[in-house]
Amino acid sequence: MTDAAFSALASLADPSLLIMLVVGVLAGLVIGLIPGLGGTGAVAILLPVTFGMDPEPALAMLIGALAVVHTSDTVAAVLLGAPGSASASVTMLDGYSMARRGQAKRALSLAFLSSMAGGLIGAVGLTLAIPLARPLVLSFGSPELFMLTILGVSLAAVLSRGNVVKGLTAGFLGLLLGLVGSSPTTAEERFSFGSLFLSDGVSLVAVALGVFGLAEIASRVGQRKVTEEPVTLTGGWASGIREWLTHWTQVVRGALIGIWAGVLPGVGATAGTWLAYGQAVATAKDKRKFGKGDPRGIVGPESANNSVEAGDLIPTFLFGIPGGVPSAMLLGMLLTYGIQPGPSIVSEHLDLMYLIIWAFAIASVAGAFLCFLATGSLARLTKVPFAVLGPGLLVVMLLGAFQEGGQLGDLWVMVALGVVGFFLKATGMPRAPFLIGFVLAIPMERYYYLTTNLYDGAGWMTRPGVLAFAAVLVLPVLWSLLRKARTATGRADDGHRDEHPVEERAEVDLEGSMAGTPWSLGVAAVAAAVFAGALWMSGSFSEEAALMPRLVAVGGLVTAGLLLWQELRPRFQPQADPEPTVHDEAPSGGSTLVATRVEQRTVAQEARAAVRNRDLAIGARTFAAMATFLVLVMVGGYLAATLVFTPVFLLYVARTRPRTAVVHTLVLGLVLLSLPSLLPVELPLGALQ
Amino acid sequence: MTVVVAYADTPPGQRAVATAATGEWARADERVVLVPAVRGEQCPDVAEVERRWPALAGRVEVVRGDVGDPGDAVVQVAQRHDARMVVLGLRHRSAVGKLVFGSTAQRILLGATCPVLTVKPDGAPGA
Repeated sequence: MTDAAFSALASLADPSLLIMLVVGVLAGLVIGLIPGLGGTGAVAILLPVTFGMDPEPALAMLIGALAVVHTSDTVAAVLLGAPGSASASVTMLDGYSMARRGQAKRALSLAFLSSMAGGLIGAVGLTLAIPLARPLVLSFGSPELFMLTILGVSLAAVLSRGNVVKGLTAGFLGLLLGLVGSSPTTAEERFSFGSLFLSDGVSLVAVALGVFGLAEIASRVGQRKVTEEPVTLTGGWASGIREWLTHWTQVVRGALIGIWAGVLPGVGATAGTWLAYGQAVATAKDKRKFGKGDPRGIVGPESANNSVEAGDLIPTFLFGIPGGVPSAMLLGMLLTYGIQPGPSIVSEHLDLMYLIIWAFAIASVAGAFLCFLATGSLARLTKVPFAVLGPGLLVVMLLGAFQEGGQLGDLWVMVALGVVGFFLKATGMPRAPFLIGFVLAIPMERYYYLTTNLYDGAGWMTRPGVLAFAAVLVLPVLWSLLRKARTATGRADDGHRDEHPVEERAEVDLEGSMAGTPWSLGVAAVAAAVFAGALWMSGSFSEEAALMPRLVAVGGLVTAGLLLWQELRPRFQPQADPEPTVHDEAPSGGSTLVATRVEQRTVAQEARAAVRNRDLAIGARTFAAMATFLVLVMVGGYLAATLVFTPVFLLYVARTRPRTAVVHTLVLGLVLLSLPSLLPVELPLGALQ
Repeated sequence: MTVVVAYADTPPGQRAVATAATGEWARADERVVLVPAVRGEQCPDVAEVERRWPALAGRVEVVRGDVGDPGDAVVQVAQRHDARMVVLGLRHRSAVGKLVFGSTAQRILLGATCPVLTVKPDGAPGA
C-alpha cells in the first residue's frame, strides 16, 4: 500500500508530469477567477486538450485544475461581491462585508488557507477511503455494481436541489440519451435514426460541454458589466494567517462536511458549502457577526468547497459512480483510456489512484501559494464582463468537443444540447442527474445482463449487498414522501436545517427563473413526448436490446407524467385565494394583509416576466450565433470562422469597443494557429479548404 | 430594551406577537423586533402589523437575519439587539412528528443567549 503511494510520488518528479500539473493548476486558477465556470468548466475546457496524452499526465492536469478552482473563485466573491462560482456565494456573505470594511487581505488569506487545508484533508480522506473500501469493492459482483449504478442515478436525482420529480425526469432523460447508439449485448442500433454518426453513441464531451458549458454561456452573456468597483486590497496578510490558526476546528469540520457532500451523488460544492456554513452558524454561540464579516463564515465553507472535489472522486474511482458533474467527466475520460473505474482500478491501477491523490494535495498547496502571490494582479480579471469572454470560451469548447471524434456532427449535437441545458436550467431541472444518467446508462445495462446471465431468476436479489443498496434506495423515497405528506397538511415549515441563500439574492440568476411558467410546462410535455416516442421505437428492437430502453421510457413516462400533473394542477385552480388563517384578532386586518401580499406578488411577477423575456431573447440570439458559427466552420474551416465570428459577436452582441474586438480576435486567432503545434489538437476543416 | 418575536403567520405566531405587544411580560415602551421564522415566508409589512396590533404602533420593526436557517436568524437578531427576551409561539407536535422532523422552535430554545418566552395559541392542549 505505502509502496504504491511512494512510487506514485516518485513518478510525479518526472518533469513532464510536473509540467502538466503546473499547467493544470494555472488553468484552474484562471478558470476559477472567471465568474460562472467553476469545477465543471475547468474539466470541460481542459478535458479535450488531454485526448492525445497518456493517462498519467492527463490526470495530473485535470486533477490539478479541479483542486484549485475553488481556491481562486473566492477572489471575485470577496472583492466584487459577485461569486466566481455558485459555491463561492457563501464566502461572499462574510467575505465581501469584511472586504468592504478594509480587510480584504484578511478575508482572502483566511479563504486561501482554508481552501488549501480543505484540499489537503480531502486528499487524506481519499487516501483513507482506498484501504477502507478496497475489500468492500473487491467483494462486489455484477449484481452489486448494477445496484450501484441505479443508486448513483437515483440519489443524484433525489438529492439535487429542486424537486424530486424534476430530478428523476432529468435522470431518465440522461439515461435515454446514454442508450443512443449500438446496444452492448446485441450490437443493434438504437435510436440512431439510421445515421451512422449516431450509431456510435453521443460523445460525452459534447453532452457535458453542451448541457453545462454552452448553457452557461447563453445564460450569462446577458450580464453586461460588473458595475461595482472592486474593493481595494487592504489590510495585512499576516493578521489573517494568525487568525486562521485559531479557527482550525472550523476548517476540519468544514472539510469533513465537504467530503461527505462530495461522496453523495448529486450533492455538489454548492450544497456542501451551504451545509458547512449552516453548521458554523449553528454551533457558534455568538451569532451576531455572521453575514457581517465573521471569519468563521469564511473558513468552514471555503474548506468544504475544496474537499468536496476530493470527496467526489471517492465514489467515482472506487465504484464507478460519479459523485458530481466534474467527476462524471473524469469518469468518461478514464473510460476512453480503457481504465474501468470500480473494482479493477483498485487492483490494477492503484498507482494511478495515488498519483491522483498526490496531485490533488500538491495542487492545493501550490494553488493557495500562487493565489497569495498573484491576487493583486489577477483581481482585475474578475471584472471582465462575461459577454467578452463568450466567443473565446465558445471557440475553445467547440474545439474541445471536436477532438473526441473529429466529427462536426458532435458540434451540432453540442449546440442542440446547449439549448436543452438552457431550458433545464431555466425551469429549475437539475442537470447533474442528467449527466450522471448519461454516463451510467451503458454500465447499468452491461451489469444487468451480466447479472441475469450469472444468476438464475431473481436469486441475485437476495445477496446482502444488493439488499443493502435496495434499502438505501427506498429509504430516501419514503423520506421524501413523508416530507411531502407533512407539507401537504399545511405545515410549511418542517424545521429542517436547510441553508439556502436569502431569496433576494437567489433571483438574480437564471436558475429556476422559469419554473411554474408555460415554459416549464412545455419542458415537461416535451420530456413526456420524448419518452413516449422512445417507448414506441423500442418496440422494433429485439427482446434483449429493448429491455433497458423500455424500462427507461416507462419510468421516464411516469415521472414526466407526474411532472406534467404538478405543472398543470395550479393552472386548473385559478388563484384559489388562500383563506386567511387568522382565527383570533382582527380578521379584517388579516384579509388586507393577504390582499397586499397578492398585489406585491403580481408586481414581482411582472418584473420577473420582463427579465425572463430578456433572458430568452439573449439565449435565442446566442444559440443562433453558435449555429451561425458552425455553418461558417463548415464553409471555411475553424480558423476562418473564428476570425469572422469573434469580432461580429463582440461588436453586436457584447457591444464592446472596436479596439477590444480586434485585439480579442487577433489573440484568439494566434492561439488557434499555434495550438496544433503545441498540443495534439486538430482544427476542423471547411469545405473551401 | 428590545423584545424579539419569532414571527409566523399562524395562530401560535400571532399569539406570540400579541404577547409581546400586550401580554403580561410586555412593557409598553420597548421596541419589538419581528423576525420571520418560517422559511419562504414573505416579510410582514410594518404598517400591516401596526394595523393588526395597534399596541405596537411606532415601536415595531421587521428584521431578517443574515443567515439562511430561520431559527439561527432569530437567535442572531436577538443577539445583535441585545434583546431582553425572545417570544416564540409553539405548535402541537406528535411524538412521531418530533422524532422525524426538526424544529425551529427547539433550535431557538437551545441556541438563544437570552430568556425565551414560549406561548401556545388559545384552545391548544395545555395552553
